[in-house]
Amino acid sequence: MSAPPIAPVEKRPKVKKNVKAVPRQQLSFGQRLRRDWPLLLMCLPAMMLLLVFHYVPALGNIIAFQDYNPFVGDDPLEAFLYSEWIGFGNFEYLFKNPAFWDSVLTTLSITAFQLVFYFPIPILLAILLNSIMSPKIRSLVQAVVYLPHFFSWVLVVSLFQMMLGGAGLLAQTVRQAGYTPPEIMTNPDTFIFLVTSEAIWKDAGWGMIVFLAALAAIDPALYEASAADGAGRWRRMWHITLPGLRSVIILLLILRLGDALNVGFEQFVLQREMVGRDAAEVLDTYVYYQGIAVQQWGVGAAAGLFKAVIGILLIVGANKLAHRFGEQGIYSKS
Amino acid sequence: MGASTSRRNFLGLVGLGAATMASGGALAGCSKEPGAKGGATNAQQAAGVLPQFKESTLVQPDVKGVRPMADGYVKYPTSLADAITEKAAPSGKPITASTPWWGPAPPTANKLVEAVNADMGATVNFTIQDGNTYGDKLNAMLGARDVPDLTCIPGWEIAKLARFSEAVPALFEDLGPYLTGDKVNAYPMLAGLDTAAWQDSVWGGKLMGVPFPVDAPYPSVLFYRKDVADERGIAAPTTLDELYEFGKKFTNPAKGEWAFGDIWLEVQQICGAGGSENGWIKQADGKVVHRHELPEYKQAIEFMARLYAEKLIHPDLASSEGGDVTTLFKGGKIFMYATGGGSWKETWKPAVAVNPKFNMQGVKVFGAEKGKNPVRWRTRPGVMWTFLKKGQGAERVQELLRVLNYTAAPFGTKEWELQNFGVEGTHFKRDSSGAPATNDLWTKEFANQYIFLGGRPPVVVGGPDIPTYAADFVNWGNDAAQYLETNPWDGIKVEVPSSQAAIEQPTADKVTDILRGRAPVSSYDKVLSDWRAGGGDAARDFYAKVLADNGR
Repeated sequence: MSAPPIAPVEKRPKVKKNVKAVPRQQLSFGQRLRRDWPLLLMCLPAMMLLLVFHYVPALGNIIAFQDYNPFVGDDPLEAFLYSEWIGFGNFEYLFKNPAFWDSVLTTLSITAFQLVFYFPIPILLAILLNSIMSPKIRSLVQAVVYLPHFFSWVLVVSLFQMMLGGAGLLAQTVRQAGYTPPEIMTNPDTFIFLVTSEAIWKDAGWGMIVFLAALAAIDPALYEASAADGAGRWRRMWHITLPGLRSVIILLLILRLGDALNVGFEQFVLQREMVGRDAAEVLDTYVYYQGIAVQQWGVGAAAGLFKAVIGILLIVGANKLAHRFGEQGIYSKS
Repeated sequence: MGASTSRRNFLGLVGLGAATMASGGALAGCSKEPGAKGGATNAQQAAGVLPQFKESTLVQPDVKGVRPMADGYVKYPTSLADAITEKAAPSGKPITASTPWWGPAPPTANKLVEAVNADMGATVNFTIQDGNTYGDKLNAMLGARDVPDLTCIPGWEIAKLARFSEAVPALFEDLGPYLTGDKVNAYPMLAGLDTAAWQDSVWGGKLMGVPFPVDAPYPSVLFYRKDVADERGIAAPTTLDELYEFGKKFTNPAKGEWAFGDIWLEVQQICGAGGSENGWIKQADGKVVHRHELPEYKQAIEFMARLYAEKLIHPDLASSEGGDVTTLFKGGKIFMYATGGGSWKETWKPAVAVNPKFNMQGVKVFGAEKGKNPVRWRTRPGVMWTFLKKGQGAERVQELLRVLNYTAAPFGTKEWELQNFGVEGTHFKRDSSGAPATNDLWTKEFANQYIFLGGRPPVVVGGPDIPTYAADFVNWGNDAAQYLETNPWDGIKVEVPSSQAAIEQPTADKVTDILRGRAPVSSYDKVLSDWRAGGGDAARDFYAKVLADNGR
């Protein structure tokens, strides 16, 4: 079996030259359209999706500047048109309200806590799993740690309640042994540990996927070469594995920062009663109780807009910082 | 390409937003307070649009209720009337309906629904929502102006639905042209609904909904497991101290047993903290005060906090509002809890199928101490309403009203039996007296669908499996009636401004913190002063003005 002959070496640069000979700017719009239409067609569904589900709804943000009343006019569109404009009234209402700032603070502290205690877990897990040689055990472990991601929060919270709650397995066992069980699910002081543990249990396995892919992309020859040079396990991790993962880690870190005011809704709304408002009121639950549940839609939208603005500023800032350190970040100016 | 341009524009807009927000202080001068301003519909407006009442009772009761307590029936009638023969919806167009249910959702392929639809001559497709979170769903549904043909809305949720009085004319059909005066004769079963309940169905001077008249005017009943209490020789409590003792005797964490579920509603009433109108009371001296401001309320907080502190309340229920209290009660994990009277039968009936000894009773109403009277909050004459989607044309409205006419068929008709018990042989068998005894399929498929949908003259009817229920309930209600509070806002639809509605949740959260021991009882004074300053005092003026405007 002989390999098909490759093009003669001297011919190849010529082809390259041909491409360069027609600079992109000289193609007319029609020419480009004729050349690229299959690509454009392929993009179309995604564009439509983005337009219909992201850009059109984004127009609804105008209610942040209205005392939006869904019941004026004959249809929802008229409700937009006829609702009273109140300038920054909704923002003023929010910014003057100490409960709003409490919820922002709670959200940020949970984000900060999870950045330290949750973010590294999928990385560690991926490295650990990557070091398992047997493919059978590897795929089994993978399946087991992925699975909880597909459970709903209701299920996760009730599972924790059944295991660690006041009438749960742990508490009953401790009681039968004659001791007073600890309050795990209802202690507002340790709530931040609880939600982080739940998040790790549910999503760490899922978060590992990206890192596993990045690990697979590292050239094994690098490990072999360094091992031949006498590098131990830790050396190899420090000088090969972690640098290999660096760009992915930074990418995800930036995305996480943009989500700093987003720590989830369901998990907190479900456990709010257990630990009280002070510990469990995050920005999203605040919006729900003070905006949607009392039909102050404008206030809810204003809080959402506030969140988006902060998110964008954080992403742009973090990305700039990444560029400064010579990383690619999530996007770069070409 | 188009998308990338709009993305850039959007980012620009957002940037602009951020810039203006940073200078928000300068712009604040031209901004206004958001939120609904509140309103009230007075009682006199209602009179002109009411349907003419025409008695539809077919069977004489065995236990007479002291009004507004409904009558009780111990014996099942031997012959049933076929009250309605016409086809409700000749157009054949399916009818969508939304109702709440406090239990597992019934299957969509549902023989009970099929049978009723067939008999009625209409295809009603139900969306059944969890009753505990129904208000949340309603808020989103109404806000999106996306309502089904028939929307069932419980009265206690309306208090939480801001701008509801604006939503009603925007979304729902005015029923006056079809039902006012003798026009209701086209729907004889609807003519049999209580006039007070119809009066309660008027929004903005127009008849807007079909009411579900109340069967017992009490928002809650204190239930206990009489079978277990008798077995252990423990009597039902008659004072607050005895209630505490009851809790002590029944709590045994090592066996997974706790005395109580949530009894907060009842403790407030036992202590004598009134306020049927959203917590508001007009005192003898004419002053309008809120339940929060009464010493009785503080006493209730202290007592309840003690129950939590001494861990007499099941931990699952102490930790979440939505804990499955009926399962724990049926399973003998708790022995006393407070909830609406409607769940008496709903809980007892399936429980007795599993445990024939199961006996659920309402504790005879008692005060904090001997010689001190409790108070019973009074619910409105209408418990819930069904609204018809607006703008579907007269013919469709008539179809929908015929459906509601069918669901309003009184006790003693074949229609009533079919909606309550399903099909003979499929959902129930008759015992020797002719009364229906339901089976497992009924338990699975029945979710009060049609009963919640249309009002019916209320009756209390047990069954061979719970033979004492009707008398138990009516006698309990008749006894409690002596403590029933009079509501000076009765017949007026009051809608609070949303800024005042928004103070309720934070206040309730803080009270919960105290009850659960996360904050000391002494911090309540601060909660109260925050509540007053945060909208409570404004709400007081609002409620007082509503009374003054109506000459009360």
